[in-house]
Amino acid sequence: MSIAGKVALVTGAGTGIGKGVAIELARRGALVAVHYNQSDAGALHTKQQIDEFGGDAILVQANVAVKEEINQMIQTVVNHYGGIEILVNNAALQLNYNFFDYDEASFDRMMNINLKGYWQCIQAVVPHMKKKHFGRIINMSSVHSKRPTDFDAVYSMTKGGIRMLGRESAIELAQYGITVNTIEPGAVDVGKQSARESKPIMTAEDIAKLKKTTRSIRDKFPLGRVGRPLDVAQLVCFIASDESEFMTGSAIRLDGGSMLL
Amino acid sequence: MNLQTKLVFITDADSLSGKTMIARLARDGTHFILNSSSGGLELSAELELVHRAGLKAIVVNIDLCNSHEIEDMLQHAEQELGTVDVLVHNNQEITPSTIEYGEEEQFLSSIAVNAKSAFFCTQAVGKQMMKSHAGKIIFVSSIHAEKPTGSAFTYSIAKGAVKMLAKEAALALGRYGVSVNTIELGPLPGDDERFRSTLSTLYDHYEYKVPDAVLGSDENLAELVAFLSSDDSRYINGSDIRLDGGFLLHYMNFKMKQP
Repeated sequence: MSIAGKVALVTGAGTGIGKGVAIELARRGALVAVHYNQSDAGALHTKQQIDEFGGDAILVQANVAVKEEINQMIQTVVNHYGGIEILVNNAALQLNYNFFDYDEASFDRMMNINLKGYWQCIQAVVPHMKKKHFGRIINMSSVHSKRPTDFDAVYSMTKGGIRMLGRESAIELAQYGITVNTIEPGAVDVGKQSARESKPIMTAEDIAKLKKTTRSIRDKFPLGRVGRPLDVAQLVCFIASDESEFMTGSAIRLDGGSMLL
Repeated sequence: MNLQTKLVFITDADSLSGKTMIARLARDGTHFILNSSSGGLELSAELELVHRAGLKAIVVNIDLCNSHEIEDMLQHAEQELGTVDVLVHNNQEITPSTIEYGEEEQFLSSIAVNAKSAFFCTQAVGKQMMKSHAGKIIFVSSIHAEKPTGSAFTYSIAKGAVKMLAKEAALALGRYGVSVNTIELGPLPGDDERFRSTLSTLYDHYEYKVPDAVLGSDENLAELVAFLSSDDSRYINGSDIRLDGGFLLHYMNFKMKQP
């Protein structure tokens, strides 16, 4: 598939899904801007892995809750690579706060990063995509844009918002040759490094309850495993390619069928 | 319907939908907490109707994104009228905006009015309802929690967020006997102006895209709110109830029921 030579920005590429996406895009020949905010070691590791197979990547840092930092980041990418054709909006916060533990500050923080940040990254890349009459915008959402989390209400509110952001952007930006699609991953094994501020999803009591029931992985995942960052990355590569040109405004659930059980 | 003496908290009571709900619910004998940005000035007819029926109404004008203000208000109201049985989040702020040129300030304001207020009202009222192990929360949402507007993206993403809030609350509060649902309303007369778009043809001839060619009304909304407020709706929880006369199902314009 044709993504070689295209310039891609992957936000939140120092960890988890973003890391997997950045590496796979680079492996297929894309020129990749690896964004991070606080995960500098993780982002460096992503770039090192890309360097190892001779891929082309740069690191860019920004707090996506701040518009000026987004604009500066996009300018850095454009100055270095001469444009930007693929945006993977992936940088997000998941605090796992109880419904009653959210206050105004934590609510705003979630909205500013997960929702406003996605929109303003789109806004910042549009002029560059317009110039080439080509763009692929891929928003990383979650099955929790459909199914509630039951552990972080504001997280799923942001994902519910992203669902409509994808649809609105798709009809507005189509005239510029830009497609906008959404991926809704289910559980993905992102290794040990999870966001440093997230509270655990399960309490000790929950874990004790869970241990009492004997379960098979197939009880929740028909294919017998959870997702891997590479699963998501391969779908990103398809959406980023020329072959996906008729697909826009779609949201693809990528969860191994787990939401059906 | 068994709504007698229930206490209903309606946000944006000054809106046409708010006023229509007051009139409808008063027929069933509910008391009210009304958040009114005019401080009740625009509600004189409705308040008179409520008082004539021997019902009570507390009119407030608080910031619904501020937990402390909401909790203080609920505490005061509790002394006078008891705890809230039904919350109707009725905020609908539609402001034109585009992905490409939208302003941050407008984005934040729209999220606050349409979604953040829904969250903090649910949190505060939900605490009360959990204690009494009963309650109904109704979000007046829109068909634009599903269908893009092509004209007011901050509104549709806010309503997309409220859709998920309702589902989260349906679980978190549902375990304490509280039901939480959204009403996806549209189109009403004037929505072609409110959602005027250069991108979407959704509202062209919109009245004829409703299969029976009769647009919805605030009375239709108020009837559904009354039903969802009552015990008759016991098993409805976490639902998005589309109230659009079949509008969103339409797509073949030559089949429109035109005069």
